[in-house]
Amino acid sequence: MDSDLLARYNYDAFTPEKFTPWMNFDQSPPLGERAPDFPLWPLTGGETTLSALWSTHTLLVVEFGSFT
Amino acid sequence: MNALAERFAPQNVGSIFIYTHEAHPGEYYPHLTSMEQKYRHAAALRDILGVTRPILLDALDGACHRAYGSMPNMTWIFNRAGIPIYKSDWSDHHSVANALEYFLDVTERRRGRERLAPFHVERLDYRNQDREAFYAGLARNGPKAVEEFRQAFG
Repeated sequence: MDSDLLARYNYDAFTPEKFTPWMNFDQSPPLGERAPDFPLWPLTGGETTLSALWSTHTLLVVEFGSFT
Repeated sequence: MNALAERFAPQNVGSIFIYTHEAHPGEYYPHLTSMEQKYRHAAALRDILGVTRPILLDALDGACHRAYGSMPNMTWIFNRAGIPIYKSDWSDHHSVANALEYFLDVTERRRGRERLAPFHVERLDYRNQDREAFYAGLARNGPKAVEEFRQAFG
């Protein structure tokens, strides 16, 4: 993995110069078009994908966040 | 959001939580440097903050989170074909419930053979802003998180 990207994404302090580069909602995928798929790791173990989850539900609500 | 997940589950609405980076790292929950640490923080989200929905970890470099705009607490709704039909730059259960009720009604109308075509809507929704509760949450992360937020936003 790109160590510089890892450090910038997992910033060590909530300062404007560190968090504002990640506020990119206006560049996020558009509604109405097939969305990008990614691997995800369940807390309970194993590996899955976002598409494996959306394809088994009528609708899938996805909240992004963290403890902090 | 947990209650919302339970309310809509019988209608085959899935709800998940994707663990990202630490938005407000502090002494007790510092910035992430490994997947092992990310699993520990995600377990705290479940065990301390009480998230009952399935929690899934994004890659350490935030590949999924970054592709979707990397806001700290956003919500998206996808249909079965993987098409996003709702996205909000903040998570608010009133807003999500309102959207789910609308989209489930669309599903019923389609079952009734109504011919429907999508169109785009822009809307400004409103979320609760309890500054005292927010600072109490920051304090769980450590004094550093409180001070950094205070310096950034007062």
